[in-house]
Amino acid sequence: MTGVNTEKASLKKNPLGTKRSFTEKKKEALAGYLYISPFFILFAIFGLFPILFSFYLGFHKWNGFGEMEYVGFKNFNLILSDPLFWKSLSNTMIMWILGTLPQLLIGIILAYALNAAIIKYKSIFRVSVFMPYVTSTVAVAIVFGIMFNDQPFGLFNIIIGWFGMDPINWTTSDWGLKIAISTMVFWRWVGYNTIIYLAGLQAIPSELYEAATIDGASTRQKIQYITIPMLKPIIILTVFTSTIGALQLFTEPLIMVGRTYREEGLTVVLYLYREAFNNMAFGTASATAIILFLIIVVLSSINVFIANRIGK
Amino acid sequence: MKKFVSMLTAGALALSLVGCSDSNEKASSGKSGSDEKVTLDFWVFGSTGYQKLIDEYQKDHPNVKIKLNEGELNDMHNNLFTSISAGSGAPDIAMIEVSQMEKFKEASERFYNLKEYGADEYEKNFLDWKWQQGQSVDGSFQMGFPTDIGPTAMFYRTDVLEAAGLPTKPEELSAKLNTWEDFYEMAKTVKEKTGKPMSDSPELVFNALRDQQSEHYFNEKDELIIQESVKDAYDYTAKMIQEGLVGKNSLWTPEWGSAMADGSYAVMPGAPAWMMGVVKGNAPDAGGKWSLTNIPEGAGNWGGSFLTVPKESKHPEEAVEFISWLTSPESQLKSFNDMGLFPSTPDVYENEDFLGTTDEYFSGQPTAKIFAEAAKSVKPVYMGKNYAIVNTEILTALTNVATKKADPEKEWNKAVERIEKQIGRQ
Repeated sequence: MTGVNTEKASLKKNPLGTKRSFTEKKKEALAGYLYISPFFILFAIFGLFPILFSFYLGFHKWNGFGEMEYVGFKNFNLILSDPLFWKSLSNTMIMWILGTLPQLLIGIILAYALNAAIIKYKSIFRVSVFMPYVTSTVAVAIVFGIMFNDQPFGLFNIIIGWFGMDPINWTTSDWGLKIAISTMVFWRWVGYNTIIYLAGLQAIPSELYEAATIDGASTRQKIQYITIPMLKPIIILTVFTSTIGALQLFTEPLIMVGRTYREEGLTVVLYLYREAFNNMAFGTASATAIILFLIIVVLSSINVFIANRIGK
Repeated sequence: MKKFVSMLTAGALALSLVGCSDSNEKASSGKSGSDEKVTLDFWVFGSTGYQKLIDEYQKDHPNVKIKLNEGELNDMHNNLFTSISAGSGAPDIAMIEVSQMEKFKEASERFYNLKEYGADEYEKNFLDWKWQQGQSVDGSFQMGFPTDIGPTAMFYRTDVLEAAGLPTKPEELSAKLNTWEDFYEMAKTVKEKTGKPMSDSPELVFNALRDQQSEHYFNEKDELIIQESVKDAYDYTAKMIQEGLVGKNSLWTPEWGSAMADGSYAVMPGAPAWMMGVVKGNAPDAGGKWSLTNIPEGAGNWGGSFLTVPKESKHPEEAVEFISWLTSPESQLKSFNDMGLFPSTPDVYENEDFLGTTDEYFSGQPTAKIFAEAAKSVKPVYMGKNYAIVNTEILTALTNVATKKADPEKEWNKAVERIEKQIGRQ
């Protein structure tokens, strides 16, 4: 290390040498950039360019083939004055509450159970809890589509029949469709969040629990005063990611409502997909994407704000 | 490794040679010699069985190599849309489904006008209405050559009709069903005697009625005319639904499929030729219980495709030569025998073997003959690029009438509102 330094120092005296070392430094930097460039090149082409382009498109009228026509804020006006957009936004929010919140609560409980010392065959349970996450969304949606069948012989209609309820039209009724989609989202993502919580639980030093046990704390007190506070950063992370994920809900509703785009199951992303690829209105579709982006920014900021407040 | 490198070099050499000959051809700009190697990319969707025909064609045309690329309907059209829009990546020949045709006609400057490649010569091969679907409104631009069609008939369950005390022979049944008024009366009889609905899907009833109109959703000026053209069809279907004569199944749902096997309804009006395969697939054990006859007041068409040549192709002449052969009566008869693609060439309808086609599953009926008759009676209709939007919204309205017992009039108005909103944005 010192050798290099002295060499550099001696070179500094020589103006020519300075130049050479500069180019070498440059070369090194260049090599570094080259090593990381594949990601950035791919990101620029498939990530950055489409993002910027959709901002550009949001102010134009375009059918995908012809000339683009600049229309200013007209697209935003059209979207914001469309009751169907607001309906899709409220659908998204309802499905977020129905699908995501229980996911996080049950995730914590499951993680706590998996982390408990009493359970045998831990790895089997862990794998099976995580399994739904690695299944294909389309396959899940098809299987759930069959279970949430409209007919009296559909699985969920049979189950609610045991409680004396009439069969529900899951695919066309307002709440039926939302519950069906939320259930699917819940089933698929609960394992993912459980594993993240589990990792968080395992990072809590066992000394804390031992000390609490010595002081005679009950299990409830341990959870309240050790587990939850220590798990807080993880909880914030999962709330954060699952909120963004829930706002971008797409595949499940697409497969459940199919190409009928029924408004009961229309989410914001499905709404913009329909605008673009069904109705050939790429301008309004891009405007919807920008609006969704802003909504996510706002909600994420609120998230961060609340998280910081709790932290203090 | 060495072998691999040498193979690579050879491959690169071969590629560059192809490139050379390509540019030579352009330079000479004359008719390409028959010894020149041409590769055509050919995109299709679904099960066409075209590979067999391609092999046959390549035997007679050693200079032409056709690369068949088979995909799923939506994927293929989306890929085509993207590559046409981007101006690169489109194939030499693309199959386009009739419901997607209007969308691509919007970009007709990205396709070759087949009229400039002798399309007029082949016009007489095809059914008039089908040929017109493949061209611009004024008929000056021929975008595609017709492949198969989907003429419609009425499928029915013999066991259900028998239980209702109605005739089960096609001729007798058809004689009792001259008008939609007869259809309605028969539906009431079926309901009374068996407790089953006449049909399970609002969409098929509506489609059958709609397809008998000379105009559907738009006129040739692209004005929305549903109030005048299909409101009656909507009202009729809604009335049937409200009286419990038509069920509430949506197409392609599991319950729709299982109803075919259960025989929980009497007829499926407006079912195209390719629906025979769907019925067999969903109800493999119901052979002999299904039969088919004419729809009251005339047939329609559902589905079918066209072969187009995108402008990106460097070999339009070879491409047109190939597609004119592939859509010729002889080739279409082969596709029918092989994969059941129903021919769009009336010449085939005179063919004895073709007319002799019967289907044991459908009670031994001469299926090809029935659909051929239907094909001849189809009315040419202008669809317009927003056909799918209107169709989706009308169906949503009918589904709401069926599943939510909603008021048909209110649903219709809401559908019109949604349609106008979406169309206004393009």
